[in-house]
Amino acid sequence: MSPAAPTLTSAWRRDWPKHLLILSFILIELFPLYMMFQVSFKDNATFIRQPWLPANPLAWHWENWSFAFHLILPYIANTVFVAVTGTVCSLFLAILGAYFFARHKLPFSGLLWAAFLALMLMPGVVNITPLFMLLKSLKLLNTLWALVLVGIAGGQVFNIFVLRNFIEDLPRDLFEAAEMDGASHLQQVINIVIPMSGPIIGTLAILSFLGMWNDFLLPLIVLRDQDLFTLGVGLIYLDGEYVKQWGQIMAAYFVASIPLIVVFLFTMRLFVRGLSAGAIKG
Amino acid sequence: MAASLSRQKLLREWKLYLFVLPSLALVLTFAYFPAASAVYHSFFEWAGGDTKQLIGWDNFRRAAHDQVLIEAFFTVSVLIVFNLFKMIPSILLAVLIHRLRSDRWQYVYRVLLVVPMIVPGLVTLFIWKFFFDPNLGVLNGLLDFTGLKGGLVWLDQALGWGVFYANVPIGWLSQPELILPSLFLWGFPWIGAVGVLIFLAGLQSIGQDVYEAAELDGVGPLGKFLYIELPLILTQVRLMLVLLIVGTLGGYGLQLQLLNEYGGPGGRGMVPGLWMYNRAFYAGEFGYACAIGMILFAFILVLTFVNNRYVRIEK
Repeated sequence: MSPAAPTLTSAWRRDWPKHLLILSFILIELFPLYMMFQVSFKDNATFIRQPWLPANPLAWHWENWSFAFHLILPYIANTVFVAVTGTVCSLFLAILGAYFFARHKLPFSGLLWAAFLALMLMPGVVNITPLFMLLKSLKLLNTLWALVLVGIAGGQVFNIFVLRNFIEDLPRDLFEAAEMDGASHLQQVINIVIPMSGPIIGTLAILSFLGMWNDFLLPLIVLRDQDLFTLGVGLIYLDGEYVKQWGQIMAAYFVASIPLIVVFLFTMRLFVRGLSAGAIKG
Repeated sequence: MAASLSRQKLLREWKLYLFVLPSLALVLTFAYFPAASAVYHSFFEWAGGDTKQLIGWDNFRRAAHDQVLIEAFFTVSVLIVFNLFKMIPSILLAVLIHRLRSDRWQYVYRVLLVVPMIVPGLVTLFIWKFFFDPNLGVLNGLLDFTGLKGGLVWLDQALGWGVFYANVPIGWLSQPELILPSLFLWGFPWIGAVGVLIFLAGLQSIGQDVYEAAELDGVGPLGKFLYIELPLILTQVRLMLVLLIVGTLGGYGLQLQLLNEYGGPGGRGMVPGLWMYNRAFYAGEFGYACAIGMILFAFILVLTFVNNRYVRIEK
């Protein structure tokens, strides 16, 4: 540690203009978060009097937060259900699919691969009209399962694409040895593929979780009952109210972010590393 | 010989098809079927019910003369140009972080970059909507506070815009002339954490020795960027470029939430995707919406091919 200390300070001395620039970028980037946090403790009157600085902690309006919790918690529960079920199923199916393409060249596998790849050219948003009609005829409108199913289907192409390349790079000997021991394909997936592709699965899981968590276009046309609202739709309805208590709204926004804060606390390292190195090489 | 071999293999390994079956079934149902249905229904007049009427190319003829749609395509091209500008800060930030000598600080900044991602995208959007609010909004507050508003009013008088007035709060999202500038301003300073991390991954391959050699040759900071860093992240820049263009062209969530289903006052924020959404879910013209979707799809497809042809992404 001791030889590192002097270089650290000299690095600081030479790099301070860069640090200053980076910090100013990041501070502006974090400014909305700061506003969200400090406004969440104010009522409208306090906010109009003093928009910039946080209010005196003794005068904080905690009731904004309790209001937000009561309002948002059911939405969060629905969203967690959709995002977790969707992510787990999506990845499991994608691993199976990727294994099929990566390990064996069976008849039609080239054709099937082309069928998957062609979807990469197809932008999902353009399909929203017929998708709505399809869900209607499947009687899936106004259900959370519609979001789960569409979410799983939407993630298949990208996930299979990334995982296939990854599985192909795993050492062949492992699979051959397992086959000698009479392992079935499912056993090979569970005992070889899944343990060996931890980081890539983690990165893909985060990306697909984030995607489903942040989606609001599909929920907006699928969900009607307030009990079923996911975060996206819930927040849109909150935004549509006429008399706005900004403190309550900001508290609601903050509560809506809490689950992601938890996810990020556990996966920060994986995310920063995985995204920087593995996932994008594809 | 080969055929019999693969048949043998088929007999032995047929169970493996079960592995790909669920994915395939889902993709066929929720991606291919809607796409085919969109093509089919774009030739119908269809209100979403059981009755529909075949009208041939009428939907497309209507689209060709639909003034809203044509303006929407113009607006979306402007937005694409905006978004190209908005890539610059991410590239600069990635280069700045990469040039730091301390690995520890590099990591700290990366983590700080990821922090804003904990906020759901929609929340970021609504916070910006709140920033744009004429009376309580942060943006107007900031302009008043710093006195920049006076400058804007002065500019307005000098150039005759008729947009900014001294005692009237600026309606960023309610004055038609300000819709596009607001869509540009949105998300300042336009740093995408994912983008920066991807650029950093590209920069990682540059060793410290390259910089030292460049310094010995007297290459300045700008030279280093142009000759060392930019060529190395060109792949990543292209990748982001493609994603961005396709995303902007087909996207409409931003406009729907920041403005409304008509693209805000005067329809200045109307984009093709939003017009499709509007026709389908507000006017009930599902057939016409499918046709707009097809046109949009054609544009995206052409752009993707151009990208693949002229902008190669090496793995």
